Amino acid sequence: MGLRWFHFAAWGLFAFGLALLPELVSKGTLRTLIFANYLAIFAISWDLLSGRTGYISFGHPFLIGIGAYTSAILTKRFGVEVEIAIPIAVIVTMIAGLIVLLPALRIRGSYFALVTLAFMELMYQLVQVIRPDLTGGTRGMSGIQTLTRGAVNGFYLSSVLMFVIAVAAWLLLRTRIGTALTALGLNESAVEGSGLSTTKLKMFAFMASAFVAGLGGAFYVHYLGSIAPRALFDINFVFTIIVAVLIGGASTIVGPIIGAFFLTFLLEYLRPFLPGAERYFIYGGIALLLYMYQPKGIYAMVMKAWHSLHERAAK
Amino acid sequence: MLQILIQGMLLSGLYALIAVGFTLIFSVGRTLNLAYGAYLMLGGYLYFWASQSLGVPKSLAVLMAMAFGVVLGILKFRLIVKPLKGDHIAVEISTLILAVVLQAGVILIFGDSSKILLPIVGGVIYVAGAPVTYNMLIATLASWTILLSLYLFIRRTDIGRAMQAVSMDTKGAAICGIEPDRVNLITWALSGGLGALGGVFFASYTQLAPSMWVGPLIISVAVVIVGGIGSIIGTLIVAHIVGFMEVIVVSVLAPELRGVFTMGLIILVLVLRPQGLFGREEL
Amino acid sequence: MTHALEIRNLVKTFGGLVATDDLSFDIKTGQSVGLIGPNGAGKTTVFSQIMGELRQTSGKISLFGKTLGTRPTAERIRRGVSRTYQIPRPFLELSVLENIRVGFMPNSIWSMITKGPDKDREIQLALDVGFSQNDFEKPASDLSMGDLRKLELARTIATGAKVLLLDEVFAGLTTGEISQISGLIQDLRAKGFTMLMVSHDLPALEPLVDHVIAIERGRMIATGTFNEVINDETVRASYLGEV
Repeated sequence: MGLRWFHFAAWGLFAFGLALLPELVSKGTLRTLIFANYLAIFAISWDLLSGRTGYISFGHPFLIGIGAYTSAILTKRFGVEVEIAIPIAVIVTMIAGLIVLLPALRIRGSYFALVTLAFMELMYQLVQVIRPDLTGGTRGMSGIQTLTRGAVNGFYLSSVLMFVIAVAAWLLLRTRIGTALTALGLNESAVEGSGLSTTKLKMFAFMASAFVAGLGGAFYVHYLGSIAPRALFDINFVFTIIVAVLIGGASTIVGPIIGAFFLTFLLEYLRPFLPGAERYFIYGGIALLLYMYQPKGIYAMVMKAWHSLHERAAK
Repeated sequence: MLQILIQGMLLSGLYALIAVGFTLIFSVGRTLNLAYGAYLMLGGYLYFWASQSLGVPKSLAVLMAMAFGVVLGILKFRLIVKPLKGDHIAVEISTLILAVVLQAGVILIFGDSSKILLPIVGGVIYVAGAPVTYNMLIATLASWTILLSLYLFIRRTDIGRAMQAVSMDTKGAAICGIEPDRVNLITWALSGGLGALGGVFFASYTQLAPSMWVGPLIISVAVVIVGGIGSIIGTLIVAHIVGFMEVIVVSVLAPELRGVFTMGLIILVLVLRPQGLFGREEL
Repeated sequence: MTHALEIRNLVKTFGGLVATDDLSFDIKTGQSVGLIGPNGAGKTTVFSQIMGELRQTSGKISLFGKTLGTRPTAERIRRGVSRTYQIPRPFLELSVLENIRVGFMPNSIWSMITKGPDKDREIQLALDVGFSQNDFEKPASDLSMGDLRKLELARTIATGAKVLLLDEVFAGLTTGEISQISGLIQDLRAKGFTMLMVSHDLPALEPLVDHVIAIERGRMIATGTFNEVINDETVRASYLGEV
């Protein structure tokens, strides 16, 4: 995997920073950070599916929502223990991932992106109509069992979860599968022409993504304690996830984390000036400009700076 | 029964009007303009502002909304689509971001709450006991007129033929001396104007709200996907399939299921027949 | 000796157009065969059918005695037949070594994750096809046409296939590159690879093949040694103005 000392140092520093944060910042900021952690998890999930393969998901909340709803329904309506409900939710989400995979076997590009969007809208409508006694219908559910009490514990739980997922995904993509997935995004027929089953590769990417989405969704709902279809299956949520990945740097895993934190704080600092949804005006504007002029994201900018620094030091 | 027929015709007419601008861009530029819904939103809001705040005559306000849509279309092509040089996915992502930015911009100016738009043409007539607003009737008639003239425009005029050529083979068209950029610009302008007009009617049918762009976008997507790229006749037919399906579902099954069948149709068609029901033999 | 490749009564039609017309031939294991014919004769179509990229209208293709039926391309490659393309298909953003790495990959997700790349083999193959040390980390998008052909050849060999279908490997190459690739193909022959080669560069093809098949409009018009085929009257007639 070509691991070097500075990789360990960077991840170690990141873990140390996360562990230290509750001592340094206010409870309010900590709650913001919890959201950043979950956004980072969702962004990583998106990155696994779309970052390399070229199959852009415009309906990622479909997967996240299935994880969240499954665990919420199991615990609240059927009294299942959270420890059992979450793994089941992850499995159900992975099965849903297979549904997303199905169209990917036949269509690419814009068409695939549209199907995922349709999946999300379909889910939004179905959740409200089918068995509202289970899903809570339009109003959703509240009073769902929470895993932690207080901001500090919530922060630690979300941080550990995010950190473990991030390192695992990052390591995964440094193996040959990462190269294979990049190749898949670049030229699908040449991957087939190298003797590799593209179906298998796509299935792996989609399953890995669904796994993370299900895990993130389930933990998120047990942090919030409530769930509502409009907030979840929402194009603004899709937008937030995609923008986090793109601003940070797609296909890098580290990028989406940077993006998620960057955006969460940008939104938070805009709050005093623009308290409502109009914050998205500036937020989206920055995202659009960054994407147009640096489509590879902040991560690529940082790496470039690091390399030029390295070269200068070597001289 | 007659009720369903009338409601279906009216809704389908509206849907055809909404979708045609989106179809146009998808046919000629091969890109999905995810900010298309925002033309409708902005068109509706501009009309609202002009006619209900400034007191501009309604017909003039409609024209203003269309002009605004044209300007938006041109700006979008110049500032986003052209610099990204045919990277479809990048255009789609950028237009999605743009749509959210525009939505936030509308909230900034007009606030978060939805607004009721007065009908463009007031009054109701009763057809076989079913109330039909003049507004919807006008929208349907306008939709048919526009689709017909668009069809003739594409078939009969030089610009229209150039658009057809670019939609079939951009490079080939360029070799024949057609400037794809100019054709694209005209298409984006036309699409913006049509979108804004559709928005005025759509807003008077439902209401003005900053999030109103998502619904029409999905309908446009459905119509384009199910109809297949580049067929105005296909657009018209599929708008009627979608419109009638919704009306039937709402009145026979349950109003909440309205969108479910539309979504199901999109998914089914994309998976089973990606080129759409009506292929792409004509624009 | 078993036949590496058996083509029996292969027919492919596109609507009214007959691209492959009742074509039959065998290639023995270890043999090197040239497939020649004028433009549009249907040479590449034959390759596409062997690889399963196009489904034949009728007829049978067998690899090492086993019929390929309707198996997908990737599986045919794992069974031992692989091809290059007239227009190379590299992974543009990947480096030279990474491109070759994809060719070496096993079709098992588990092994892709748990086993690292075999750098030595990658480097050896890259050197064999004529890359130099400082090309290794170059992205494929920076390569010349000649280098892209070498890269594709390397990736094709890396799949482990023992039957190679080479489509115009010399097109767009400099004389120096031609002799390099030619030397490599000689090495492959010595190692027992079976090859079917399409080339318009007949002088370059001559020393590399045991025999030649000439086709026109999808039908075989001559077969035999290089000289026999080249001097065949039908072949000369069909090639008139082309060589």
